[in-house]
Amino acid sequence: MLRNEILWVEKYRPKKIQDIIGNEEAKATFAEWLQNKHHNKKAVLLYGPPGVGKTALVNASAKEYDFTIIEMNASDTRSEKAVNAVAKPATSYKALDNFSGTTKTRGNMLFLDEVDGIAGNQDRGGVSAIIKIVEESLVPVIMAANDPDISKLRPLKKVCLLVRFQQVRIPLIIALLQKICLLEHVKAEFEALERIAKNSRGDVRSAINDLQSLSEQNHTLTLQDTMMLRSRNKALSMDETLRGFFTAESIGEASRLLSYSNVNYDDFLLSVSDNLPKRYIDPNELAKAYNLVSQADVFRGRIGTENWHLLKYFYNELAKAASVNNVSYKPFEFISPPIRIITLFWTKGKRTMLNNICLKIGAQCHVSKETAKNDFIPFIKVILQKKKSSGLVDWLKFTQEEVDFLAKMSRF
Amino acid sequence: MATNEETLMWVEKYRPKCLDEVVGLKDIVESLKAFMKKPKTMPHLMLAGIPGTGKTTIALAIAHELYGANWKNFTLELNASDERGIDTVRDRIKDFSRYSRSGFGDIPFALIILDECDQMTGPAQTALRRIMEIGSRTSRFILICNQSSKIIEPIQSRCAIFRFSRVDLQAMKDQLQCIAKKENISLLPEATEKIADYAEGDLRHAINALQTASAYKEGIVDEKTVLLVIGEASPMLVQKMIRKALYGDFIDARKTMYDIIGNFGFSGSEIIRQVQREIFKMSDLTPEQKADLSGLIGEYDYRLTQGANSDIQLSALLAQFSKFGKNLEENYAEK
Repeated sequence: MLRNEILWVEKYRPKKIQDIIGNEEAKATFAEWLQNKHHNKKAVLLYGPPGVGKTALVNASAKEYDFTIIEMNASDTRSEKAVNAVAKPATSYKALDNFSGTTKTRGNMLFLDEVDGIAGNQDRGGVSAIIKIVEESLVPVIMAANDPDISKLRPLKKVCLLVRFQQVRIPLIIALLQKICLLEHVKAEFEALERIAKNSRGDVRSAINDLQSLSEQNHTLTLQDTMMLRSRNKALSMDETLRGFFTAESIGEASRLLSYSNVNYDDFLLSVSDNLPKRYIDPNELAKAYNLVSQADVFRGRIGTENWHLLKYFYNELAKAASVNNVSYKPFEFISPPIRIITLFWTKGKRTMLNNICLKIGAQCHVSKETAKNDFIPFIKVILQKKKSSGLVDWLKFTQEEVDFLAKMSRF
Repeated sequence: MATNEETLMWVEKYRPKCLDEVVGLKDIVESLKAFMKKPKTMPHLMLAGIPGTGKTTIALAIAHELYGANWKNFTLELNASDERGIDTVRDRIKDFSRYSRSGFGDIPFALIILDECDQMTGPAQTALRRIMEIGSRTSRFILICNQSSKIIEPIQSRCAIFRFSRVDLQAMKDQLQCIAKKENISLLPEATEKIADYAEGDLRHAINALQTASAYKEGIVDEKTVLLVIGEASPMLVQKMIRKALYGDFIDARKTMYDIIGNFGFSGSEIIRQVQREIFKMSDLTPEQKADLSGLIGEYDYRLTQGANSDIQLSALLAQFSKFGKNLEENYAEK
């Protein structure tokens, strides 16, 4: 489909100032500064987190107020020489084109994006050159930065009007996403959009990118789809991955979720195994699902520590276990942490004790621990119980504690 | 009889000290005795066979024959399943095998007995192979294993292999009677029959059962006591786990599984082995059903060796059992 051939962030880039969502105060301040030629500061520094509309505001205002943008961003070298070569000519004349009268341009506007990215060595003298240009400029000079507090930018702040941008509020982002969904014919659950918006942390650009990548495959977007959303700040937790896994409606969805999540495979496999009987009540379904989890475990074993290209088969088998029967899903409480870990924790003392006993038997009877456990312990337990003969205890070098332990120990 | 003697485990007390005392196993003993006459000609040995058939006994008897009462000074006995890593091979075995003992008596080599060495890891076996070659002037190995197929071929080719089959029923009964006589116990014939039957060719198991049964009543072992012992010694939790699963109570079955793992530290493959054994003892299953279940067990036993996590494979097997049990139930309902 053609609709995917263009990035939505490009397609829906704000054309007018009013299209930019949020940051009303910053927008107003900037517009006022741009129109007021008698402002006491010749330059403006827009600062704030990424994706909130700084560049968009500059582009939109240029369009609205008929400026031609001369832009230098982090991809250009911004040494003193370079700044002078590009910025000086651009700022030293006003609206020459106006002679013709055919265009309405009010002249140039110098836009230095990402000024916090001016590198120390390669862009030597860049900042002082900018200051000089600001002082001599006949046209508006606009700068944008994420972090205005970098020491080398401090001189700039003296000659600039500071305009602060904040994170865009979640409801505004949701509204925008809804609008885009409408235009792109995407049927999206509100919860899904909400999750995308929250996940973006006020970064509109990333929210739109996420929306596009998630609804790329089909025209629907459910909450489950967003489970695989790679949070830009924190990883998907075990619980979230489990929830997403068990609520997945297709093998593809579960598989995608697994490839996005970065939970530990072994822990996750155990957790899935623990929770499987809660998910599938019917023995036939449970057996089928367990068979697939077991296959996945086999693939996990083959991966070992080096054959990571086999990971896709592991995902695939595991994902199949998530959708043995999509209809039978009912919400349930997860068992966590893994039963195995809990069990082993509470029984560690017992195992150690039994282990020592078996080692003592092994030393006397020329057998391994395992053989001692299987072939001797059940008999010795009964013998000690029936005949309180201390001789055998002495011969095997058991302590009183170990004798008591054997007496109390249940049969296996 | 001295009280001290009485206190031993009988399997140790009546373990033959030299090759002549070994009953049964005639062919093996004859060939080994030929080596004993000219010890320098003795190759490395591999003793393979099911448990309780006399492999360790033969190995220890050889040590006795070679070195006499001081055998422990010249013999390194390792239970490979407890110490099966490559570190053990490289450190303890290598050091022991290198040290020439030609100064001590007629035997120019030391003896290294590796028990249950089919449990050794692949890398450890590979390391062992070299050591066997380099150290053959100063040491001889006796490798003991259940399945010779689990030993890498280069090692097999360096050994004279002796295979042990299960102890003959009559030989076992004779042995039990012989021990009973020495212990002043009247062992009733039906009781002997039951023990031999239960032991399935594993003499160690049989002797342990006899000793346990003798603890019940002074001076006599009858069939009833033997049945009691067999009941006590059977893996109760494993049976419970199987039953729960077959009755469709998967959650409880799995809980029991974790009881077994947690309290006794059994490995996954050990539990599967016990499950297999118990299934065949269950009287309420038809032979066809046992065969079906056995097929399932075999599949998951194999996956266990391939997989990463034994808990998952065991759980999956129990889930299969639940399904099997449910389908049985439905079949009965239809009829």
